[in-house]
Amino acid sequence: MRNEIELEAIIEDYLKGKLTAEERVAFEQLRSNDPVVDHKVVAHKVFLDSMAQYAHVVKLKEQMDAVHSQIDVAALAENLRPHPSKLVKLWRNNRSAVAIAASFILLAMVSLYSIQSNNKQAGTFEAMSKDMARLRSTQNTLIRDIKTREANNNSNNNNNNARFGGTGFAISGNGYIVTNYHVVRGADSVYVQNSNGSYKAKSFYSDPVNDIAILKISDKRFESLPTLPYTIKRGTSGIGESVFTLGFPKDDIVLGDGYVSSRNGINGDTLAYQVAIPVNPGNSGGPLLDNSGNVVGIINGKENKTDGATFAVKSKYIMEALNAVPQDSLSRKVSYGKKSSLRGLKRNKQVQKMQDYVFMIKVYNNN
Amino acid sequence: MSIKFSSDIPTDREVVLGILNNSVEALNKLYLAYFPMVLQFILNNSGNEDDAKDVYQEAIIVLYNKVRSGNFELSSKLKTYIYSVSRRIWLKKLAQQSKKTNNIADFEDVLAVDDNVELHEEKDMQFDKMKVALDSLGEPCKTIIQDFYIHNHSMQEICEKFGYTNTDNAKTQKYKCLQRLKKLFFQS
Repeated sequence: MRNEIELEAIIEDYLKGKLTAEERVAFEQLRSNDPVVDHKVVAHKVFLDSMAQYAHVVKLKEQMDAVHSQIDVAALAENLRPHPSKLVKLWRNNRSAVAIAASFILLAMVSLYSIQSNNKQAGTFEAMSKDMARLRSTQNTLIRDIKTREANNNSNNNNNNARFGGTGFAISGNGYIVTNYHVVRGADSVYVQNSNGSYKAKSFYSDPVNDIAILKISDKRFESLPTLPYTIKRGTSGIGESVFTLGFPKDDIVLGDGYVSSRNGINGDTLAYQVAIPVNPGNSGGPLLDNSGNVVGIINGKENKTDGATFAVKSKYIMEALNAVPQDSLSRKVSYGKKSSLRGLKRNKQVQKMQDYVFMIKVYNNN
Repeated sequence: MSIKFSSDIPTDREVVLGILNNSVEALNKLYLAYFPMVLQFILNNSGNEDDAKDVYQEAIIVLYNKVRSGNFELSSKLKTYIYSVSRRIWLKKLAQQSKKTNNIADFEDVLAVDDNVELHEEKDMQFDKMKVALDSLGEPCKTIIQDFYIHNHSMQEICEKFGYTNTDNAKTQKYKCLQRLKKLFFQS
């Protein structure tokens, strides 16, 4: 024990360079002879170095802490910390108030929007008259080019091109035809055509509100038609009632089949039904009939965003239009609320019987 | 964003000479001169005042070690050196806390000081080892060792302070303490 302590003291003095030259030589002799002593010297040196470093750092830290205590850190930090913009400050200070206000605005907007969308059908109304010029440019592979055909037929009348086309149907044997007002609006001349031939017609009555127009065939070649096979329905049709229409979206008559899908038209329009029949430009003015052969409406448009949402003017307004025509000028006029002769027939027979009474309407416009 | 520092800024040469001469005054000047710069950096990069103090003091220790080791060449401004070291230390700390280290807002030029900082980390580990060993030594050993090795008191002074009857007793006590401390230090 005693020796150990002495040895330790000597090692320490040796490392610190406190030994005299003779002691030093003697110790180094001992060290080289005794590996245990040598190991102790090395270990103690490492330890002393670490201790010195430790002491140094501790002193430095003490000094720095002393200096640090002189600094007004809080004030300095206030100057140096990131300064958010005024907007951010405002937000931080009034976070909850702003959040509540924002959610109220959001809520109000959502409820307003939902009320609006409940009341409104999203799509817009698209009249189903056939715009020949547009169709030629977009669908000339599907639609026969009426313009060139007409130009060939009326070679002496090249400037008069069919601009619009629609459908109409007879309401009396002597050439009164009902169609949509929008089909013949602004027309310079109107021709109607069925399987027997093409006849010149003129506008006789128009009702822009209900979108109904009555044409009178003025052509002398026109021979009176036999008794009309269909009648006009008195009441309204219910949802789900099967209906069909005949029309001229092309040069041949086309049958469209479907059902009444809503009692009202676009945006709650009570003048019209909504029916699920695919229609195309050219179907406007076509008769809408139920299975018993009663005319329940006139096709007049569709919603441009939804397929199969077609609108038809209710038959009630056809009667109102008919009443506007001097009654003695109509011979063999369409009957109202009676049994139609199409009742009980199969669809193909009904179409066959009807097709002479359904006309293609061609509107010429010099502009 | 640069803010004028109120205290006098010592010249770089003054600081290096002061470090070599163990000048307390030089350390004080140095410390006051660049602390706001580091504080600004730490505060703007998700740290607080205490982080700034720790990082800055570590950076100064790195500087001291570097200067004392004798191979310190002033290739840039001292300010840039301290800033770069502080930055490097802080980024390491952020990474250890697994905080995001992208979008570091810088206020000064940056030097590559990775070597210096890694060397420092080794020494720092040794420091921590010694600190732990001393703390677990217990009294009166801790104070005796500290007085002898850190405050450089003589055995005579220690003998008087602790009321040992003679220096041999004090030496025996110190020897025992030292053996325990060495054991703790080399084992940890």
